[in-house]
Amino acid sequence: MTEEILRVEELKTRFFTDEGQVNAVDGVDLSIDRGDTYGIVGESGSGKSVTARSIIDLIEPPGEITDGEIWYREPDLAAAIGDDYPDAIDGDRIDLLRIPPSVRRSLRGSNFSMIFQDPQSSFNPTITVGEQIAEAVEVQRRASANPRSTRARSEQYTLTSMILGSMFSSRRYVSPESRERAIELLELVGIPDPIERADQYPHEYSGGMLQRAMIAQALAGEPDVLIADEPTTALDVTIQAQILDLLDELQAEMGMTILLITHNLGVVARMCNRVGVMYAGEIVERGTLEDVFDDYVHPYTAGLLGSVPDMEGGGGRLQPISGNVPSLLDHEMGDRCHFADRCPKAMEDCLNHPPEYPASGSDHHAVRCVLAETGYNDGRALPDDYFDGTDRPAGDKHVGPDDRDEDSDDERQHPPAETTGGEHQ
Amino acid sequence: MAFGKFLIRRLLQGVFVIWGVVTITFALRALSPGDPVNLIAGQVPDQSTRDQIRQDLGLDQPMYVQYFDYLGNLLTGNLGYSYNQRRAVNDIIAQHFAATVELAVAATIVAVVIAIPLGVVSATRRDQPADYAATFGSLVGISTPNFWLGIMLILIVAMQVGVFPTSGRGIAFHEAMYNLFRYGYVLDLLSWLSYITLPAITLGTYFTALITRLTRSGMIDELGKPYVTATEAKGLPRTLVRYKHVLRNTLIPIITVLGLQLGTLMGGAVITEEVFNWPGLGQMFITSLRNGDWPVVQGIVLFIAVAFVVINILVDALYARLNPQVTDE
Repeated sequence: MTEEILRVEELKTRFFTDEGQVNAVDGVDLSIDRGDTYGIVGESGSGKSVTARSIIDLIEPPGEITDGEIWYREPDLAAAIGDDYPDAIDGDRIDLLRIPPSVRRSLRGSNFSMIFQDPQSSFNPTITVGEQIAEAVEVQRRASANPRSTRARSEQYTLTSMILGSMFSSRRYVSPESRERAIELLELVGIPDPIERADQYPHEYSGGMLQRAMIAQALAGEPDVLIADEPTTALDVTIQAQILDLLDELQAEMGMTILLITHNLGVVARMCNRVGVMYAGEIVERGTLEDVFDDYVHPYTAGLLGSVPDMEGGGGRLQPISGNVPSLLDHEMGDRCHFADRCPKAMEDCLNHPPEYPASGSDHHAVRCVLAETGYNDGRALPDDYFDGTDRPAGDKHVGPDDRDEDSDDERQHPPAETTGGEHQ
Repeated sequence: MAFGKFLIRRLLQGVFVIWGVVTITFALRALSPGDPVNLIAGQVPDQSTRDQIRQDLGLDQPMYVQYFDYLGNLLTGNLGYSYNQRRAVNDIIAQHFAATVELAVAATIVAVVIAIPLGVVSATRRDQPADYAATFGSLVGISTPNFWLGIMLILIVAMQVGVFPTSGRGIAFHEAMYNLFRYGYVLDLLSWLSYITLPAITLGTYFTALITRLTRSGMIDELGKPYVTATEAKGLPRTLVRYKHVLRNTLIPIITVLGLQLGTLMGGAVITEEVFNWPGLGQMFITSLRNGDWPVVQGIVLFIAVAFVVINILVDALYARLNPQVTDE
C-alpha cells in the first residue's frame, strides 16, 4: 500500500569554488514513501540543505549536480513527457536529472515546494505577503490552463509586463481569483484576520506568523512533496511546537509527503517515521525512527543522541562529539571513513571508506560503518593521537594500513612523516 | 498618518536648509571684494551720481539691514535686480531655467533608458562577454571628462559628419510642442531634438555609466538574497523573479541617486552648457559670477537650493512608497 514517491540514488552535488571542489553531497541514497515524513538530521555543513535543494533543483552556480538519479513517481507526468524523453522514464517514474530544466522548473510549486529556515529573509520585503502567496497560486493557475508542451512559451514575463503591470491593474501578473485563494490559504494555516493580513508586508508579521504564511505559500500549488528546511530553527520554542502541529495537520489533511531537514533530534522524533543521518555529505545511517533512535550502530548517531539533554533521566553529563565537522574540500577529504578522526571506536578498517551495510532492526536500516559488519575489536583500534597534527589526513592512503599488524605500532603513530620524508629511504 | 507627518517634517527641514543657503551666499557677497557701483556706473567719476546709485541699491545701509531687506524681498518672491542686465533676477532665471530643465531631463532619460537594461544584462549574464562589455563601457564612461567628450562630439559628429548642430539651443521645447499641437508642425520638434542630442549625450554619459554600475552591483547583491531562492522555489517564471522582485528592489536605492543627480543637473551643467553654448542657468551663473553680478548669483544659488530640496522630498516620498519599511520607522 505504501509506494515509494521519491528515490534518490548516488546523488552528488559539488561546488566549484576558488579553494577547490567542495563535495557538499557525496553519494546520497534516499527512499521516501508517499505520505511519509522523512527526516534528514546532521550538523551544520553536513550537506542536508544541499541535498534538499538538489531535489527541488535550486542549486545555483558554482554548485552543480554532477551525478546521480532522482526518481520521482508521477504517472501523469511520465505519460505526458514519455515520448519526448524516453531515457528519463521508467514505468511511471521520472528521473528528474534527465529531463530538461524547463520541465524540472515546471514541477516547482505544483509537485515540489519548499519552506525555508528564516521566514523574514525568505519573503520579498517590498511586496505584501498576500501578493507573494497569490503569485504562487497564479503561476499554477496559468500552468494548468496550458498543456504541458506549450508551458515554457506561455511563461514569458518581460520588462514591458513589469512596467505595464505597475501602471494598470488589469495588466498585473496576479489575478483577483488568485488573491482570493491566497486569503483562503492564509486562513488555512491559522492566520487570524487573513483579509487584512494579506495586505501587510513581511516586516509587519511576527516570525511564527510569517512561517505560517510561508507554509501557505508552499501549499499554493498543492505539492506532492514539501521540503521543509529547518522550518522551526529561527522560531521560539513555543512557536516551534505550533508550526510542527500545523505541518502535522496539513499533512493529514492533504496527504503530502514531507522531507524535513533539521539538526534537532526532538523535531525528528516527533515528526518523522523515517530518518537519515547525514555527515560530511553522506547519509551514514538510515532507517525507521526506531532503527536510528534505538538500534543505532554508527558512532556518529550515538554521538548525536548523546549530545541531547535528557530531561526526564537527569543526572548524567552531556556527551558532545569532540572535534569539528570535516572540510568538504575534495582534496582534503581522503579515502577513509570521514568520521574516523572524531570516532571513539575508530579502527584500522576505518582507513578505508566504508560501503553501506544492512543492520539489525527493520529492512530499511542501513549503516555506512564497519561496525555493522564486524563489531568493535579493541585490538585493531587506532591510537587516540592517530589523527593529531594531521590537518590533511588525505595523505594516509599511501600508508596501506591493511597489510600492517599490531607490531608496527610505532610506524602507525607517525603516518604523516612517512608520506613526506621520502629522502631518507 | 505616518506619511503625512514624514512629509511635514521633511518640508520644515527643507525650509531651514534654504534659509541656511541664503544666509551663506549673502555672507559671501558681503565678504567678496569689488564695488557693485563700479559695475553699474562704470568709470563715471561723478561722486554724487555714485552715491545716488549706492543709495538706490540700499548699499549704504548697514549689513544687517541689507540682509533683512533681502529676506523680506525673498518672502514676497522678489529676487532683486541684476546690476548690469537691467532686468529682474526672476525674469533672468525664468528665461534660463527652461533650457536647463530640458537638458537635465534629457540627460537623465538618456541615462535611465540605456543604463538600467545594460545593468540588468550585466548582472544576469555575469562574467559573460555581455557583462565584460558593459563593465568596460561603463568604466570608460565614468572616466571620460565631459568637456573633452563634448568637444570631441562637436569636432567629429557635428563638424566632420555634420549630423547635429555644433552649439546653441535652436527652439525651446515648449514652443516646439506648441507648434506641433497647434499647427501640426513636426520640424520644430526635430530641430529641438537635433540641438539637444549632443549636449544630452555629453551630460548623460557619466550618469549612464554610474547608473549601469549601480544597477549591476545592486542587482547582483539582490540576486544573492534568500528571498530570491524562495521565490524561485514557488515555480515563478525566471523573468518574473528578475523583474518584479529583484529589479524592483534594486531600483529603490537607485532612485535616490537619480534624484540627487537630477538635483545637481538642475543647477545647470556649467561645463556642458559652456561647451555647447547652451543658454542654461549654469552658463548664466558663470557669467554673473565673473561680472560680480551678485543679485543674479544669489538668485541662482537660491533657486538651485530650492530645486534640490524639492527633488529630495519627492525622492524620499517616492522611496517611502516603494519601500514599505521606511514609513514605519
